[in-house]
This record gives sequence, C-alpha cells and structure tokens, in this order.
Amino acid sequence: MRKFLMSLWCSLLLLSGDVLAQTRTLTGKITDSNGNPVPNASVFVKGTRVGTVTNTDGGYSLNVPVDARTLVVSSVNMHSEEIRIGVATDYSLIMKSLDTNMEEVVVVGYSTIAKRSLTGSVSKVSGSAVSNKPVLSFDQALTGKAAGVQVNTSSGLIGDNVIIRIRGGASVSSGSNPLIVMDGVPLTQGDIGPNYNPSNALAELNPNDIESIEILKDASAASIYGSRGSAGVILITTKKGKAGQSNLNYDSYVGFNEPTRKMKVLNATDYIATVNKLRTNASLPLAANYGDLNGDGKADTVNTDWQEELFRKGLVQNHNLAVSGGSQKATYFASLNYNDVQSYIEATAQQRASARLNLASKITDWLQVGVNTQYSRMKTNNLGSGTGNFFAAIPYGPLMAMPNIPVYGPDGQYYPGVGGNSATLSYSIPNPEAVTHWNYEDRDAHRFIGSAFGEIQLIKGLKFKSQVNVDHSNSITDAYWNKEIGDGLGSGLRQTIYTEANTWSWFNTLNYLRQIGANHELNVLAGSEYTRRTSSYIYNYGSGIKDPDFLLIDKANYVEVGTQNGIGGIDDGLASYFGSVNYAFRKKYLATFNFRADGDSRFGENKRWGYFPSGSVAWRLTEEDFMRPLAYVKDMKLRASYGVSGNSEIGYFPSISTFEAGNYADISILTLSNPGNSALRWERHKQFDIGIDAVLWKNTSFTLEYYNRKTIDLILNNPVLATLGFPNNTIKDNVGVLRSRGIEFTVGTPVVHRKNFLWDVSFNFAWNQTKVISTNLFGDDLYDNNDGTATFSIARPGEALGVFYLMRWAGVNPANGLPTYIDINGNQKQYDRISNANVWTMVKDGSATTAIGATDRVVLKGKTPYPKFYGGFMQTFNYLSFDASIDLQYAFGFYIYNQTKSYLMNYSNVRNKSDDVLDAWSKAGDNTDVPRLLWGDNFWATQASTRWLEKGDFVRIRNVQVGYTMPKTITSRLKVSRIRFYVQAGNVYTFTGYSGIDPEANSVGNTNIGLGIDKMRPYLPRTYTMGVNLGL
Amino acid sequence: MRYILCGLLLMTIAGSSCHKKVLDIEPKDLLSSDLAFSTPEKIEAATIAAYDGLQNAGFLSGRALIYVDLLAEDILDRNGFFTDLPRYNLLANSGIAANVWTAGYNAIAKANRAIAGITANSSKLTPAKASALIAECKFVRAVANFYLVNFFAQPYNFTADASHAGIPLITESFTFNDPGANKPRASVGEIYTSVISDLTVALADLPVTYSGYPDNVYHTKTRGTKAAASSLLSRVYLYKGDYANAGKYALDVIKGTYGSFALNAAVNGAFGAGNYQTNETVWSIPNNVDDNPNTNNALPQHYSPAGKADLMISPTFLNIATNKYFAADDKRRTLIISGTGALSSLSFTTKYTEVATRGDWAPIIRYAEVLLNYAEAQARTASGVDADAVAKLNIVRDRARASEPAYTTGSFANKDELIAAVLGERRIELAFEGHRFWDLMRVKASVTNKFDGDGVSLLPTQPFGAQKNIFPIPQLEIDKSKKVLQQNPGYE
Repeated sequence: MRKFLMSLWCSLLLLSGDVLAQTRTLTGKITDSNGNPVPNASVFVKGTRVGTVTNTDGGYSLNVPVDARTLVVSSVNMHSEEIRIGVATDYSLIMKSLDTNMEEVVVVGYSTIAKRSLTGSVSKVSGSAVSNKPVLSFDQALTGKAAGVQVNTSSGLIGDNVIIRIRGGASVSSGSNPLIVMDGVPLTQGDIGPNYNPSNALAELNPNDIESIEILKDASAASIYGSRGSAGVILITTKKGKAGQSNLNYDSYVGFNEPTRKMKVLNATDYIATVNKLRTNASLPLAANYGDLNGDGKADTVNTDWQEELFRKGLVQNHNLAVSGGSQKATYFASLNYNDVQSYIEATAQQRASARLNLASKITDWLQVGVNTQYSRMKTNNLGSGTGNFFAAIPYGPLMAMPNIPVYGPDGQYYPGVGGNSATLSYSIPNPEAVTHWNYEDRDAHRFIGSAFGEIQLIKGLKFKSQVNVDHSNSITDAYWNKEIGDGLGSGLRQTIYTEANTWSWFNTLNYLRQIGANHELNVLAGSEYTRRTSSYIYNYGSGIKDPDFLLIDKANYVEVGTQNGIGGIDDGLASYFGSVNYAFRKKYLATFNFRADGDSRFGENKRWGYFPSGSVAWRLTEEDFMRPLAYVKDMKLRASYGVSGNSEIGYFPSISTFEAGNYADISILTLSNPGNSALRWERHKQFDIGIDAVLWKNTSFTLEYYNRKTIDLILNNPVLATLGFPNNTIKDNVGVLRSRGIEFTVGTPVVHRKNFLWDVSFNFAWNQTKVISTNLFGDDLYDNNDGTATFSIARPGEALGVFYLMRWAGVNPANGLPTYIDINGNQKQYDRISNANVWTMVKDGSATTAIGATDRVVLKGKTPYPKFYGGFMQTFNYLSFDASIDLQYAFGFYIYNQTKSYLMNYSNVRNKSDDVLDAWSKAGDNTDVPRLLWGDNFWATQASTRWLEKGDFVRIRNVQVGYTMPKTITSRLKVSRIRFYVQAGNVYTFTGYSGIDPEANSVGNTNIGLGIDKMRPYLPRTYTMGVNLGL
Repeated sequence: MRYILCGLLLMTIAGSSCHKKVLDIEPKDLLSSDLAFSTPEKIEAATIAAYDGLQNAGFLSGRALIYVDLLAEDILDRNGFFTDLPRYNLLANSGIAANVWTAGYNAIAKANRAIAGITANSSKLTPAKASALIAECKFVRAVANFYLVNFFAQPYNFTADASHAGIPLITESFTFNDPGANKPRASVGEIYTSVISDLTVALADLPVTYSGYPDNVYHTKTRGTKAAASSLLSRVYLYKGDYANAGKYALDVIKGTYGSFALNAAVNGAFGAGNYQTNETVWSIPNNVDDNPNTNNALPQHYSPAGKADLMISPTFLNIATNKYFAADDKRRTLIISGTGALSSLSFTTKYTEVATRGDWAPIIRYAEVLLNYAEAQARTASGVDADAVAKLNIVRDRARASEPAYTTGSFANKDELIAAVLGERRIELAFEGHRFWDLMRVKASVTNKFDGDGVSLLPTQPFGAQKNIFPIPQLEIDKSKKVLQQNPGYE
C-alpha cells in the first residue's frame, strides 16, 4: 500500500512539476485570524499548475514565472484569497476561517449548496458522530443526532432491523424507509437476511469512511428524488483526499458487550413452588420437582439461570487504517477496516472487513474524473432457530426453560430431559444451550459499491457531469439444524441460500452557476437518471442428515434434498428526468424550484409516470439593514416550502394481475398470485414546511420548523374478505389519506469557551403526530400485514397511525383474585375457571354474564407505538488535553405491547415464568395485578388486552466517552501528529418504567402499523470499549 | 463546441436506449392473467389449482382431519400445541379457525375462478373436456363447503329444517374487491343443497379414471372421480340424516359401478409410502417431499413419536371399557406403538410415518368408510337387523378380527345394536382420519371420557349442540364484513 501510495504521490508531483525557464522565488507565511500558522494551505499561481503547500509553520516558498500576476491561497475551512503579485517577494496573508455553520456546504442531491443559500430542510450529521462507535451499523449511531429522525434498533440480535422514520410514519403498508444514497449510488438497504435471521444491509458499510450525512426532510429537499423521496432521503458523503494534506490515521478500539437487561424469571425453588401451587389450587397432581440426575435414587437440587448460561461478555474490536492526500490535480482516500463484534449471546457474532479507494483527478482545467469504491466482506454467525415464540428461539428458550434442570447431564453432555418435572404438560423447550450451539445460521456476504464520474466544464459556469453507479451484494447463508435437537424435526436440516442484489444507475447532469451583476445568483440543474434493480436467490436444502460429519448437501448424505431458484422480490427499473432552479437576489431573497418525472416499470403502462414538483423560498433577514443594530443576530433565515414526492416502496409488480406456477404434490398447477389492480398509481406526499435558521451570539445556532404532510393515494395491501379468495386476503389499492404534522427544534451552543475549557451542547427535539384521515372506500380498519398475528394495533380513520386496539383490563379483584375486564359498555366483568371453563360474572353483584370478547375492544386514543416527542441531547467537554462527551436519546408519549411478559405469565404450562407471579393474589384483600394461581387459566395471559400495554417513555445514555490527547511535545518526539486514547461506553443505561425487553423493542420488522410489539427478541447490548486514534 | 454537441447527442441516444431498458421489464416468474387460460394445458393446470387450495397446510393436507379428531375423545394434545381447541375454548381471533376459513374459501375461489376461465375459453376445449374440468371444480367446491360448514356451523340436525346459520355461499369468481363477496351466512340447509348439487353434477361429468397421463393412477386417486363424488355424496347424506340416499350412493361404489375398490389384506394397507394408490384409496390429498404441509403442520410430525409427537392416543380409545368394540387382540392395535425415552409410557398411531419427508397422503375417502357408510345407512333404513349391513360391516371387521367370532345377524338383538356396532367399528377403523367428532355430532351424541392434554384430568362431558362445538367465524372476517357476517354464539 505504502509503495503504491508513494508511486502515486510521485506521479502527481511529476504532473505538477513543470519546469519553466524564467522564474523568481516568492515566500510568505499564511496565518489564521488568531495568528496561528496555517499548514497545508495551497498556494498557486492563478490559471497555472504552478504551486505548493505551506509547511507546518505556515510558510511557503514558490518559484513563479516572471509573468505571474495572481496567487490563489486556499485551505480547508478557510475562505480562499487572491493576492496580486507585485515587485515584492514576500506575500504573507491572514486567512479568514469559515467558522459559523451557516458557511457549511450542504449536499442536496445532485449538487451542493452553501448552507446559507439553502431553502429546504436539511439536517447535517458529521462523520465523527458515527465513526468509532461500538455499533453494528452506522445507522444505529444516528440515533438522536438529528431532529425528527427517529432511529430505532429493534433488538440486540445481530443484524436486526434498524427502523429509520423521518418525521413519523409516511405510509401505511408501503415502505417508510428513507432513500439512502452514498456518493450518488442508491443503496440496497433494509433487511436482506434470507432465512430466519434478519440482516441489515447497512452493516456492510464502514462507518469510519463517512465524511458527512445529510438528511433531506422536507419536500423541497427530497423531491429532487421524486418517487423515492417521500420518507426522506439520507445522503452519505464518504471521505475524500484533500489537496496538500497527507494523512494517515489509525483508529482502533477493543472492548466487550453484555446484555443491557435480564428479565427476571423464577429460580428453581420458586419455580417448583409456583407450578405446584398452580396445580394444587386446581386440585391436580403436582408437576414440578427436582429430578434424580445421577441415578442414586435421590432428587438432585439444581438451580440453572439459563440467561446467565447463555450470555457472555462478547469481545468487540475495530481497527481502521486510512490514508489520504493529494495535490491540486489529484486526490486520494484509501481505508482498510476490520470490525468484529462477538455478541453477548453465545455463538453469535458479526465480522466485517472492508476496503475503500476514492480517487479524483483534474486531468485538465476543464475535465475532472474520479472513482469512489468500496468492497466489504461480512460474516455473521446467528441463531439457528431465530427469535420470537419458537421453542428453540432466543430469548424464548432461556426465559422459559425449567430452572430446576441442569445444562449438562452427569455424562457431561447437554441434558435433554425435564428432571423431576412433568414432561407432558406443554413444555417442549429443548435445552437452550444445546440448540444455540448445535444449530446455527451463518451468513457470508460480499458487497461492492462503486461509482465513476467525469465532469466537464463546457463554458464558464456550465458543467456537465456523468456518473455510473453500481451496488452489488451477494451472500451465502448456511443454516443448520442438528438432527438430535433440531427444531423438533428430529431428523436434521441444512439449508443454503445464495442471494444476489444488483443496482446500477447512470445519471447525467448539466449544472449552470452564474452570478449576474452583483445582485443575481443563479444555479440551474437539469438531469436524467436511469436505475435498474435486480435480485435473485438460489435455495438448497437437505433434510434427514445421515452422517453429520459431512457438511455439504448431497443426495448421498440426506434423506431428501431439494433446490429452488427465484427472484428476490426486486426486478424493476426507473427512468427519471429532473430539473432544479435556485435563484438568489442580493443573497437575501432565495427561491428554489425542483421538478422530477419518474417512470417506474412496476406500474401499469398508463399509470407509470409520476410528476413531483416542489418550490421553496427563503429570506435572509440578516442581509437587511434593519437587522444591523441587532448585533447578536449573526445570521437569520426564514424559509418555507411546499412540494410533492412519491413512494416507490410498492413491492413486486403490484398492479399486474398474474398467475404463478405451483404444485399439487406431483402435479404442476397454475394459480393466481396477484389479483392485480391496473388502476394503481403513485402514492403521493404533499408536504408544507416552514422554518427559521439562525446563528445568534457566539455561534449559537438554532433551527425551528413546522411541517404538515399529507399522504394521498396510499397504496395499501387492502385487507379483503377471505371469500374473495385472493392470496393473503389482500389486494393492492390506492386508498387512504394520512396526515403528519410536527415541530422540530435543534439548538447547538458553546456554553463555555474559555482558554482551557470548552463545553458544547447540542439538543434536538421533535414532536410528531401522524393521523389516519381515511382508509379504503368502506373506511375499514387496517391491520398490520407484515405479521398476521400482530393484531394489537390498527389504522382507523380519525385515529393516530398504529393506535392500539385492545380489550380493557381492569385489574385483579382484591376480594377473590379473579382477573377482571371492562366490557364495551363499561361493566367490570370477572371470570372464574370452573371445570376447565371460564365462568363470567359481574364484579358488582356476582350475577352471571357473557364473556369478554372481540367486540369489547376499544381504540386506546392517542396510545400508539410512535413517540409523541423524541430527540437527543449531546454534550462535549474539552479540558486541557482531555475531552469527554455524553450523548442522550429520549422518547416520550408512546406505548409498547409487552407480549414477552404475557408469554411468561401463562398458567397452563410448566415453562418458567416471570417472577411477577410471586405477586399473585393469594388471600382476600391482596392488591395485585396478578390473578390467583390456578392451573389452566391462560385467558388473561393469552388474550390481548391492556394488561400487556405499557408506557415506553425512556431516556437512554447512548454513549459516554472520555479521551486524552497526548501533548505536542510528546507526539512530535514520536514523529506523529496526534495520539488520543479514550474509553467509551455504549447503551450505558436506560431510564424507563418499561418492564419488558426494551422500550425500543420491535418484533414485526419494518412496518408502519404494528411497531411497538415486544415479542421475544434479544436485549440490546451494552458495550464498553477503549481505543486509540493515531494520526501521522 | 462541435465535440460537445456530438457528445450530448451520443448521451441522448444512450439515454433513450436506457429509458426503454429500465421501463420495459416483464416479471420472469409470473404469467399475466390474460394468458392463464390460453391453452388447454394451462386451463387444466389452472383447474387442478383448486385441489391445491384444499391441500393447504391449515386444511385438508392434514390439519383439518386432526381438528375433527381433537374435538373428540380419542386423541390428546400432549404439548398444548393446538391451544384451547381440544377444550372447546378457542378465541374469536384463533389462528386455527382463521386458517381453516381462509383455506376453504381460497379453494372455493380457485374452483370458481377456473369455472369462469373454462367457460370463457371453452372454444379451446372439447365440450366433454370442458364439462369434465368444470365437474372437477364443482367437486372441489363441494368438498370445501362440506368441511367449512361442519367446522363453522352446528350440524345439519341442529334445527329441524337446517335453517340455522351456515357459511356464506360463494359461487362466482371475483377479479377485484367486489362487494358481491360480502355475503351473509346462508343456512346450513342451503349449503348442503349446494354441496349435493355440485356433487351430483360432478358425479355425472367426472371420469371413472384419468387417462393420457404418464401416471394415470396418481391422477385417479388425487383428483375427482365418479367414485369419489358418489362416496362423498354418501357421507353428505349420512350427515344430513337421509339414510336412503346415503346407502344408495355408497352401494354404487361398492357394486363397482365406478371402478373396482377393495380393502387391502393388511390393516394398514392404505398407509405409508407406496400404499397410497391401492384399491383401498378412493380419494386422498397427496403430499410429497417438495410439496407438503411443513414440519409444523404435517400429519406424521404431529402424530408420530419420531416427529413432534404432539398427539398421543387417549386411554379412552385404548381401553375396552370406554371403546367396547376394540377387542384386545384386534389387529388394528398393532398400529399403535409406544414412544421412546420420556414418551415410553404414551401411545401413538403409526398411520402416518413419513416424518422426514412429510409425504403422507391425507386419507379423505377410504373404501372402508364407504362400506361403513353403507352398513350404517342400510342398518338404519331396514326394519330389522339387515343381513347386507352385517355383511358389509364384516368386510371391515374381519380384516382386523382375531379371536372374536364373526358377526351374524344373530349377533344383534335389534337394529339399534347393529347401528351401535357399525358406529363402534367406524370409530376404530377410521380413527385419526378426521371423522370422530362429526360422527358423534351427526347422531346428536356427546363427547364423554375426554381427557385433557395430560391424559389424567378428565374434561366435562361435551354435549351435542354446545356453542363451542364449532369454530368462531374469524374475528377479522367479521370486522372486514362490517358485521354482515354474524359471529357464532359464545364467541361474540
């Protein structure tokens, strides 16, 4: 690598090293406004290749032609300056820094713009916010970093879904994931795990490669992406080399992770007592006892904490090496990364190695070319039986396994039995240690993301750019169920799945930048883009393993083998034409107009094209004379926008009525796969946004904005009657209207900036309310369609999206310990369990009544899985050579359905239970929420009701970091420019009243209605790391 | 400048070819519906899709048979896998009920869709072929309606005129979200009338055997035939209490009018790989290694101790005191085995054994049933102890009989004793094949001696006509119907 870089460097020097006959030598020193030297500033003779960079003291010496007239001095984060060359030979300069964030350049789709000229709503997150963080993927580190951007990590499972919602849910059954574009390449994202475990496509990127992340939130900003912009757009810019700055950075951390929580379940003593009490209270024989394990005829006392057995301190490490540099003619950035996260769940891990090379070269003064490429390989070891309510799943197994049986039998092998407990009373849980170690699902993924571009300056101010992009990913998943313990199959199963996803796109833009006189600035963009996405898979399985030592799927070694190939759900194309005009008058009045036309292959020919216009205006008050007296207002801008964007996450050929091939055992058949809907058209999002951006006093920046977004023509998997006989009982329809309103507020301020002590604070807040205005023609309730069993929440006209819809629990009657509910008419009813039947009576007078049922469900107004307000609070401190940071994340006003707990409170099986059952009612007068212990009573546990609905409010200490940077005196002796050591903790602590797995738990995946269902997915990890940042 | 213009022109040409390339994309794995009935082969494939609707994992590939037995007393849900179904305590949002409902109506929709497609494209077929294919559709529709009405509605004899609520009667094909599909529940009588009418058409137009295929017998055993339609008619009339017709349609099969059928020599002769296509099988739903109800639904997984072993045989079935026609040396006791290890004290059936491949066929109509249908109908319609009924009963019983003497007309004091013997034989012979609960209900009997899943706690007697003898109409369907569908009492 070094050799390569050296030779690259040399060739660049050669390019610039034109030797001219007639020269003279100029010298000087470049300093900043504080008098500090500016090293690595470039000093060039205007219009030529003659130039140099300043040394560490800011000094330079340059041979220039005698006819040279002007020097151009430029440096990162500084205003470029020109110096007229006269007869003197010493030209020193004080450069002005671009210190307020209004001077930042912001990427807005196909071009960049100074933040002060921006008319839309864009949040920028710097790469340092996501680099070197102990997370599985960079999106997890975005949590709490930008106002209105909710990032929810579903669980601690390796690869589990990270749900990103910009300004709340944008749809009901189509996707609500933002479009993610990296250096112009639209990325494959979401869950790409083909089997039991999810796999987050974004985990294949190296977070340390990211220079900045721009989040386009309003229609003005996002509509340049047209049909893909409705849920917002996340633009990732990777690091590039900078002219005149050669750097080598090595960043590394090591540490460990552990579960953030452990739900409490009964120990062996309490388990035996509780189960037997359940039984005896129902006049049934005892069911739990210690068993005789060693065959000595006596019961052996054991107490197994299955969670403790299965969890560990998992090693975490990350090593990142990056080199960058360049000249005015060519720049490079290259990096190597190795990231290894051994999960706290035994036998699960994620390892990633990646390499990046970004090159850009100015071939002539009118032609620039470049490439941005990354390749990564990621291996994951995951759970053979997945998560959720499968007997072998995690954490279902360790939570529900009997605590009075051992992990290992006397023979040293995994103990397969149930000890002295009754086997026949609904147990079925295999030894959790055995299934976790013997079954597995491994994935080996490769990803290449690359783009190549050329940019031509046609005439002054007019640039033509053409860029081709590729995102290729493939993976092999190898899943294995051991023949002894399998998944109850008892014969063993091996599945291998090869998947491939490809996206290519090609865009061309013409960009015209013109200053007309002193007053008019014009930035015009026109372009076209063609995008093609394909995917495929090959699936092989072998069941009935003969000899487990042979690992390949082969007829010789399996009772049955089979294979299948198909399309991975994506095969489509998008043709797009777009334009944008940005006009500024006296840098004071700004206006932007965007337009995009998208044609999508998946729609019917007549409904294929969607048109997405947007407009926005802004007014920079600080350019007005009347603002001058207000010296504390350094910059202030009012802006407003309105526009239309679309949602292209509509599935696979949703509008065409199609049949597919199938089988009636040995006979081939042809069966309806989609009833189709040729009238299906684009889902459109009309968004109005008004905001104010300001910089006050000493760089206190704040942004306040309000938006109102209406989504019309929602594409819904409209649930229809089973009597229609359509697959999955749904049909795709344009029905429904959704409205989101919200306020976002961001403030960043240097609280204290003294000589040795700096304290900076950044706070963001978002309030969002998403309401369903209408659904289908009949105004029907819509249920989540990702998971048919997740019917706890609905979309109902007039109610908030995903509002919970449940029967009302009314506690345990203190007089008799019976569970009580409120029926639809407000009567409190209780039931007793007599002769294996529930006998319902009124609480008030004990008279017989009807059972509580589905008709007693009510909409729980305002109780949804979406937080009413949420955001983050970041603080950084610097004291002498020490630095520290603490990041908080918060969310309030939302609810979680604690299904995990409901599984742990079932009275009709011998599985282990939550230690909440110790609070069960036992005598008249007991005030508790846990009914009397009675075997066979599982109605209150399994029937969905508000018994299991809990407030999710939380404040989480997301990240704490303390660092120490070695003083210059030492680093200079070591010939390095920077050494910093730090310790860091992630997911340190969560303040919440929620009693389940985690207040962010989500078992349904990427969905809109059924979020907030906590159903047996692993706890989030807490990570402790120590690291070093080394710079040469 | 000229170069630039040329460049831009080239870009435009390249762009327009890309434009076409990204927009003209046809799905590779799907066929536009316009083409689904475009050739005779495709029409037949779309017709056979209706059987595939029946072969749903939650329906007649096995699960539906299990439910009928689980509601009765002879098998126990050892692991609580089937939630509160065996305790007659399903909830209105029960996934089991929803899956049966959806699968049943999906099969009916497939049949109706094929009828519409065949009718619209009849010019592509010979008239005989068209009516034979339509007959298959009607056969499937009748099967689905018959099972659905018995799961979701009280038995035919619950009211004197069968006017109590049945299920929605769907006879048309829908191509969009048609309000026409939102039908209220027809009466049980109306559903039976439709089932009988469909089966009568099927009996007229179905073939006796299929020919022209590489595996004709396979098609004959797994698709509708005259024998299957006639046998099912016999069962439907039996459930309806029309014993004359029940006897008539069974006898047509027994006489060999629709092909030759016979019991195999061994008591398990119709079960296990290689035995599905014998003369004992009238009609089955096939499964194979590639197309089966998967590990969580397959008959062998649930029943076999080598599989998940969810379903054990109740002591009630094994004990002569509670199953008096099951002699101690009855050869069918050889079909009952003990589990191993922790399951060694429990009993399991060996009717379904293909645990690894899950390829066991679901025996929907077996010749033994036809014989017993006839024996029962004949015994009931005769004035005294009918000799022919005894003869047909003996065909079934003699195969399994060891030391017990064969029945003669003298074995029975009166016709009621003979009827009881036929019903007792039916319980043993057709055990675990999805008959027991409905055989009790159609004669207004109660479920007695039913154990809970532990095999120890006795459940209370479940009487005929109890509200939860039938499944709840899926709550989601009631919600979607805007209450056009009425819930069954006890589930509201």
